[in-house]
Amino acid sequence: MSALLLFWRLLVRPLAQEPLRTSLTVLSVALGVAVVVAIDLAGDAAAGSFHSSLESLTGKGDLLITQTAGLDEHLLGRLVELPYPLEFQPRIEAFATVNGKGEALPFIGLDLIGNGQARIGSFGNFERPIWAGAALNWHNGQNVRLLINDVLTDFTVAGVLPGEENNVIVTDIGLAQTITKRLGHLDAIDVKLPSSGSVDSWRRLLEKQLPRGVRVEPQGSRTDENRKMLRAFRWNLRVLSYIALVVGAFLIYNTIAISVVRRRNEIGVVRALGGARESILSGFLAEALFFGFCGSVLGLLLGRALATGAVKLVGNTVQALYVSSRPAAVHFSLESIAAGVGMGLLVSVIAALAPAVEAARVPPLEAMARGREEFSRRQGAGKRAWMALLLFGVAALFTRLPPIQGQPVFAYLAVLFLVIGTAAVIPEILGASVRASRRMLMRVAGVEAFLAAQSIEAALGRMSVLTAALATAVAMTASVAIMVGSFRETVGVWMASSLKADFYLRPAGSAAADQHPTMNPAIADDIEKLPGVAAVDRFRAYAISYDGMPATLAGGESSRVRDAGATRFLPGENGRAILDKLPTGDYVVVSEPFANKHKISPGDELQLPIAGGVRTFRVLGIYYDYSTERGFIVLDRKTLLKYLPDPAESNLAVYLQPGADASRVREEVDRVINGRGILVFSNSTLRKAALATFDRTFRITWALEAVAILVAVMGVAGALLAMILDRRREFALLRFLGAAAEQVRKLILCEAGLIGIIANLVGLALGTVLSLILIFVINKQSFGWTIQFHWPAPLLLAVLSGVLLSTILAGLYPARMALAMNPIETLHEE
Amino acid sequence: MRSSALICVLFIVLASAQSWEIAQPGYRYEFPRDHFSHPGYETEWWYYTGNLHAPHGHRYGFELTFFRQAQKLNAALIASEPPVWRPDQIYLAHLALSDIDGHRFYHQERLHRAGPGLAGAALSDQRYWNGNWQVRWTALPRADQELMAVCERFTIELHLKSAKPPVIQGQDGISRKGPQPAEASHYISFTRLTASGTLKLGTTSEPVNGTAWMDHEFFSEPPASDLTGWDWFAIQLNTNEELMLYRLRDAHGRISPYSSGSYVDPQGRARFLAGSDFALVPQETWHSAQSGATYPVTWQIRVPSLGLLLNETTDLKDQELREPDSASPTYWEGAVNYRGTSQGKPITGVGYLEMTGYAQPVKLSGLSPQK
Repeated sequence: MSALLLFWRLLVRPLAQEPLRTSLTVLSVALGVAVVVAIDLAGDAAAGSFHSSLESLTGKGDLLITQTAGLDEHLLGRLVELPYPLEFQPRIEAFATVNGKGEALPFIGLDLIGNGQARIGSFGNFERPIWAGAALNWHNGQNVRLLINDVLTDFTVAGVLPGEENNVIVTDIGLAQTITKRLGHLDAIDVKLPSSGSVDSWRRLLEKQLPRGVRVEPQGSRTDENRKMLRAFRWNLRVLSYIALVVGAFLIYNTIAISVVRRRNEIGVVRALGGARESILSGFLAEALFFGFCGSVLGLLLGRALATGAVKLVGNTVQALYVSSRPAAVHFSLESIAAGVGMGLLVSVIAALAPAVEAARVPPLEAMARGREEFSRRQGAGKRAWMALLLFGVAALFTRLPPIQGQPVFAYLAVLFLVIGTAAVIPEILGASVRASRRMLMRVAGVEAFLAAQSIEAALGRMSVLTAALATAVAMTASVAIMVGSFRETVGVWMASSLKADFYLRPAGSAAADQHPTMNPAIADDIEKLPGVAAVDRFRAYAISYDGMPATLAGGESSRVRDAGATRFLPGENGRAILDKLPTGDYVVVSEPFANKHKISPGDELQLPIAGGVRTFRVLGIYYDYSTERGFIVLDRKTLLKYLPDPAESNLAVYLQPGADASRVREEVDRVINGRGILVFSNSTLRKAALATFDRTFRITWALEAVAILVAVMGVAGALLAMILDRRREFALLRFLGAAAEQVRKLILCEAGLIGIIANLVGLALGTVLSLILIFVINKQSFGWTIQFHWPAPLLLAVLSGVLLSTILAGLYPARMALAMNPIETLHEE
Repeated sequence: MRSSALICVLFIVLASAQSWEIAQPGYRYEFPRDHFSHPGYETEWWYYTGNLHAPHGHRYGFELTFFRQAQKLNAALIASEPPVWRPDQIYLAHLALSDIDGHRFYHQERLHRAGPGLAGAALSDQRYWNGNWQVRWTALPRADQELMAVCERFTIELHLKSAKPPVIQGQDGISRKGPQPAEASHYISFTRLTASGTLKLGTTSEPVNGTAWMDHEFFSEPPASDLTGWDWFAIQLNTNEELMLYRLRDAHGRISPYSSGSYVDPQGRARFLAGSDFALVPQETWHSAQSGATYPVTWQIRVPSLGLLLNETTDLKDQELREPDSASPTYWEGAVNYRGTSQGKPITGVGYLEMTGYAQPVKLSGLSPQK
């Protein structure tokens, strides 16, 4: 009871007296937790919906039979005769867009007659009947025009499939084959198993019956593979989401530290009256827990609200880089609630530990003595410098260590150590900076700036924490900005060197990384015959699975690529020789992310399940590719056609003869594709579109950085507010001595500005170092891209000046408060 | 139950210039051709039933039926479906096992289009099959057949040998079902097939032996018919004689004069029996709680011209085939026993009894409930 009373009097009451600062601290924790929760929820939702609508329709089959580029449909006839009580459901998988616009909807062909697995309605009386998921809001009898591959076709809705989330379009297998031009082929066969026997024993039994190159695996494997592929992406996103929380930790630290300083006298009294050290310690930890708890609960609600937007952003990235997925509903699990609250509490307690321990160690008499208003600096400057040096050394060592299970754990620890190490020496940096600059400040900005520098030095401990928080936010933002800027620049350079054709064609509709709709091969032939056209490069891609991971198998025309110089190989590889050799046999080139993911070097051999067998291909070279993280295995078109003789192309690159009139040719191309759902990009529009996609994929990153900065700026505002209360005597005295209101305001803004500038400079320096780790260690270990370092000066300048401006603005309200105080009354208080 | 998304397929048969062949008197049967598919006729079935016993005497009955139903398709469907998947012939199959002494009845239905080898009945394939339910003719032109069917509950494999030549039922090559010319079918029976093989039920597998019966009919549904159901008897006596008898009923329960049957003597010679040549008198009934139908499961059979008096009984009353959302109506088809006298001398027999139209009226094809 008495402990509770103590807690109330000593800790809660003061909080209630400063509602603004208390709520700023709570809010900073809340924002940190919110971002973590939102990213967690969004990641789950964005990754969680592969094929789920389809499963809800057919019932969950147990095994799935697939083959690169599809199965021969006669395999189904052989399977249904096997003397086992199994049910087989064939499937065609494609995507459709309504009128060639908007979201790509799964377009699935099933045997609507066979074996009662998916009999969904009468289809004899409709022209091209389809069954549409309820989420599409179509009604029976409605006519719908769908673009599938490059052809627009009219369908009639014969029925609506249940399920609020269900956006699948189903039709009979025969019609689906006709529409997708996959006569004789199936994309998958679902196997429903009897209740007896394990999935694995049935799988082994079926494996023996299947030709080589045909895969049979448990139904969820594709989802599992996709999740595996997304793991690095989600992992890194999650780490980014912790930045705001880390920044928030500095602010909790600051808040508790201020509490300790302010209540030094009370602590002394309590201790002198027999209060135990432990009760002081637990009292301050309880205060931190209070912030942590309120912040976490608020953060959960805020996170849930943010998640909806985050799902969209994350979904965009997943779609562009990895796989088509439809964001599932955001699901607030008990697990994510526990993780969010737990994280908030943990960070709060850790952050409060140091000041709370210090409070507990205060000897009662010393505490009751007047005059100590600053944090004790028990640890001397030298000791902290050594600690920083040690942390930097360990960080340097950690950047050399390999990833753990594909995740750059050590690299991220290195980042954390660098941040902590820098924070440890911030007092020295801050002190030295203000000491060095105050004369100059006096000359440039007047006496107020000089006084501002003086008072920063006087409250160095407190100011350092603040600067550290802001510097951390700036550093994180700057490092990510440098990485993204470098990446963007690299992609730009890569596009300039690899996009050499004058026009590019692909079917309209979605451009997700695993969807490869095709075009009628006659189009390429017709375009090649047009006057002014020098060559057409025909490219075909298939989404496949390689070694348990999704990948893309593709065929292009090596000679065209060689002539245009459109592919750059890794240093030390002779691109011309590789492209000359590629068409001459079972050879492949692979993209850098693929090589990295599967540890492939030139000269290695790949086993590819292709055309009813498993064939060996030798890797001739590794080329740069930044278009998708799935990874490419590229054959010469002739080799591809030898094994998969479907001439339809996924992409065309059209090269013009020198001096040809591009706009004339474009008109002719448009005439050739007239009436088909094909998009034509000129070289420059394709680049612009690609960069737009690139920018879209990084929006989520920017959003995370913005939140971290917001938290830091809020911290500055809160801390200034506290400082003004603590220094009201000083301000009153200044006013009493004749300082104008304007001068006091300027003094406060100068303090804010000085902290802003120093934090920016420290942050920029630290951020540059961090960006090197991001680019050359973390990116390499997680994704395997080669990124050229590039300093995006305008972007950084914009970010830094934005931070500075907001810091100064954060001083506005505290300054107004300082002015609102009556100097006489304030002085009389003492 | 299947998932809620699944509703029965109903083909809307559109008015079309295409018309099916009609069973005609004087049809010239040619074997083995006529044992296999006749796609010009709308409906065709191959019906295998039989009584089996395990070495220790445990009795079983089985039914394996292959249906073929031709579809009239609209032009759009023909244009949009590749030939392989074109649903112009739909194959339905029923499999049932009567564990007579175990008092259990299992049955399952299966539906396919021909597809890439999913189902068929062509002479060139020398078999009728629907997935892994099939009967393969192994020694054409002899009638040796191998029957195999697999489902989750049981697997049955039988070698069938015909003790007698096929019987062409009816008169002049057609079996009449009503007054209209189209109300007729071509009807071939193997009345005594000796069966031996194995039955795997659950985890136990045992050899089985017994006698089977096969009916093969093909015809085209008449435009209109008063027919709403029938009772059909296959009788295999221990005197090496067989009878097939059916009576047709209309909506008022009246017995059609076109009911008929046949008698096959020990030498395999068949004699036509008109409806007036025999009497089928229902006795005890059994009520199906599931379908609500009441079936007369015991009958008295009199064929005065043969001096034959038989009482039909069954040791397993629930041999009703019902599928929740099936394309075919509910019916009773089961293994039965016969006991009685032939010209005063006691005789026994086994066989099968089929009763349709008790749960709802049925069309002659039996494939879809009559509207």
